[in-house]
Amino acid sequence: MNRNDAMQPGRASRRRVLKAGVGALAAGAAPRWSAAQTPKRGGTLRLSSGGDPPDFDVHQTATYLSQFVGAPCYSTLMRADPKDYNRLLPDLAEKTDVSADGRTVTFQLRDGVVFHNGMPLTAEDAAYSLERIRNPAKGIVSPRKGLLGNVEAIEARGPRTLVVRLSQAQPDFLFLVSNPFNVIVPKRVAEPLDAQGQGMKRQIVGTGPFRLTQAVDGQIYELTRFDKYFGPAPFLEKIQMFPIRGEVERSAALQGKRIDGCFFFPNESVLATLRKVPGMTALRRPTPTFINLIPNVQRKPFDDPRVREALSLALDRESFIKTVGPLSGAFYHSLGLMPPGSPYSLSAADIRQFGGYDTLPGLGGNLAANRARAIALLEQAGVPRGFKIVIPTRGDVPAFRDAAINIASQLKAVNLDVTVDIRDAGAFYTIETKGEFQMVVHSVAMGGSTPDQILGEGYTSYGGRNYGMWKDDALDAMYKAQSRELDAKKRGELIRQFQLAFLKTHYQINLAWVGYGAAYWNTVQGWNALPDLYANMQFGEVWLDA
Amino acid sequence: MADYILRRLGIGLVTLLGVAVMVFFIMRILPGDAAVMMSGAGAGAVSEKELAEVRSKLGLDRSLPVQFAEWAGKVAVFDLGTSLRTGKPVIEDIARRFPYTLQVVVMAMVIAVLVGVPMGVLSAAFPGSWGDQALRALSIVGLAAPSFWVGLILILALVWMFQWSAPLFWEPFWVSPWKSITQLFWPALAVGMRQLALIARMTRSIMLEVLGEDFIRTARAKGLSEWAVVMRHGLRNGLLPVVTLIGFEVSALFGGLIVTETVFSVPGLGQYVVTAILNRDYPAAQGIVLILAGIVVLGNLTVDLLYGALDPRTRVQAADK
Repeated sequence: MNRNDAMQPGRASRRRVLKAGVGALAAGAAPRWSAAQTPKRGGTLRLSSGGDPPDFDVHQTATYLSQFVGAPCYSTLMRADPKDYNRLLPDLAEKTDVSADGRTVTFQLRDGVVFHNGMPLTAEDAAYSLERIRNPAKGIVSPRKGLLGNVEAIEARGPRTLVVRLSQAQPDFLFLVSNPFNVIVPKRVAEPLDAQGQGMKRQIVGTGPFRLTQAVDGQIYELTRFDKYFGPAPFLEKIQMFPIRGEVERSAALQGKRIDGCFFFPNESVLATLRKVPGMTALRRPTPTFINLIPNVQRKPFDDPRVREALSLALDRESFIKTVGPLSGAFYHSLGLMPPGSPYSLSAADIRQFGGYDTLPGLGGNLAANRARAIALLEQAGVPRGFKIVIPTRGDVPAFRDAAINIASQLKAVNLDVTVDIRDAGAFYTIETKGEFQMVVHSVAMGGSTPDQILGEGYTSYGGRNYGMWKDDALDAMYKAQSRELDAKKRGELIRQFQLAFLKTHYQINLAWVGYGAAYWNTVQGWNALPDLYANMQFGEVWLDA
Repeated sequence: MADYILRRLGIGLVTLLGVAVMVFFIMRILPGDAAVMMSGAGAGAVSEKELAEVRSKLGLDRSLPVQFAEWAGKVAVFDLGTSLRTGKPVIEDIARRFPYTLQVVVMAMVIAVLVGVPMGVLSAAFPGSWGDQALRALSIVGLAAPSFWVGLILILALVWMFQWSAPLFWEPFWVSPWKSITQLFWPALAVGMRQLALIARMTRSIMLEVLGEDFIRTARAKGLSEWAVVMRHGLRNGLLPVVTLIGFEVSALFGGLIVTETVFSVPGLGQYVVTAILNRDYPAAQGIVLILAGIVVLGNLTVDLLYGALDPRTRVQAADK
């Protein structure tokens, strides 16, 4: 399925979904490399990430640290084409069929797939995995359960047929299933562990091209080629991942050739240094991660829309991007709620309607006039001059810390007395989870960029990212309407209407989008940078030209 | 002497009990909730019901005295509990990481003593010389620069000059001693810079004082060589405060390592404790603080015993008591 097809009005239909599936199959079967490139077999790819994964249970986490180790080991029902983010390829499901009413999706699983522990893959495993995400057992946490909120029933029909019934048709459903975190785990392993409330935190048993063979906390995570992998045999013999917290230290390890690559460099100066190194590829890829200012609408005066609008009006977004971007990778902006480059982006005329968004780069807004209006709105709302606001933030991540500092300084321009309370991750997340804040600046990483992924998780009352704790039935209904609309043109308009309605509320105040740096020696071949931090991290097609 | 040691050990045990109580309650007072961190913090809003389930699973829904009693009971039989993050026994995690930390501490102290003491002695023997001036400048830098910053500069300088970077897999000492020593040299140097500067300064200042004493003048009057005067008469008498300093600084080294290990990615206790505290991994943080406190208690005891060996007067005083 083509992601752009789904996004472009008039081109997404059930038939197109099915055709895309067939096309994807053909693409999957085609040779992966041109004759000019002759992939070499063997070798160890040495990578680094920013630390140890908190655990290996990919369903239970949202951090890239767990996903980076898990991705090469696990499979999903379908996955993003490593060469084209907008296409889905079959992964465990060799065939996908959608019923005429769009409410029943049938996945035909490949034959002969085995897990790393030798157990054969069955539809029961796939059914259990999706159920585990949608409706986790007691003590198991599922941050992405909202993605499968439209699922009515999941049923294994025979050993290789999985049927998912939706409460309503949902054009984005296959993309939600293909989220790189929505991996298939073996029921017979996971179920007893889930019953104990443990989950699969300490082990990886997947069907992916590599299996976990060594995990030494603080030292190394080693993955070895899985000889019974159902797909084309991976070229690499091993992948070693080394947890290195600091960006400078990761950069040093890369330059010192201790590692072959690293796919997580937010800081621009580090990446700029690596760009100058001969024989190295260093690039920045935009990813569906946004930085928003989130007022707590349960607290006065942020329950007043005039105050929230004043906050938005006070901000110079272009200045934010120029200042915070080099520190955190927040270089990008979009018009509306969807990621940069989305066909659902709003027009400049649309976005200018909303207080403060005309200060996005290139829109020529009048900051002084905006701030004068913000001061007037605050006065109307009865907010006294020098009103004290504390923004708690986590001190170890620039996308939080430096963003909060920048926002605090900007809000002082409208006579608010804003300070930043820098905490460690443990304290910050507790404050945020319990709603004990006035406003926060949050960097939110999404696994995917379709409207249901971005809007559903990020901008609904029941979405996982509603840190501001707002409740708006009308907006939720608008979200559901677009999510279920099969006519692409109508859907496009519904998505536009949703964005306009949401932006009017200022429940969340959009600031910028993040792009992460990736750098690797040119000996690493076959890896394609997709515009998503989590996508194409399986490394089955990667080889070393050494 | 045995009484003295027993009495000191007894005081050490009371100290450890106090540390146990303090670390347990400080971890609970710290803002932050282990249940939130165990619920995929940052992954999205978590309901109070889900948090309650996690708390119940972790036993954090019971009263603090009950939790403390259970933990203390386990500690009494050398069971530090299970890490909430790694899911492994804390003692196992510590046992795997401790040798790296210990080795860095020992190497840092060896570097600090082997370089710092001679520098201090030379500086005192030739006061006002360019060497003395250089030492004083160097020691100010060593004291002012935090060890993690020294570590970062070292890393960058080594990459820039030699394309050399810190290893990613640290060889345990018992597997390959020489490789392990060479691997941990730079972290040890970074973390030991402060101690080196302190020891050099302390040695210089003590030696200047000692070298002005009457017995030194007498030794010189006897016609002894300057080497013998300084090393045999001066240094022997000046070493006592330096030994005290070394004892204290071993404890400080463990503290300095917390960040330096992170900079060099050394898989020691420093990284472990940082991660444990950030994640509100109570058993791990409590266990490691207790172990470190034990090391400090033992370190101080060792210094006291060394005092006795170096200065017979303290032995007599201890025996009198």
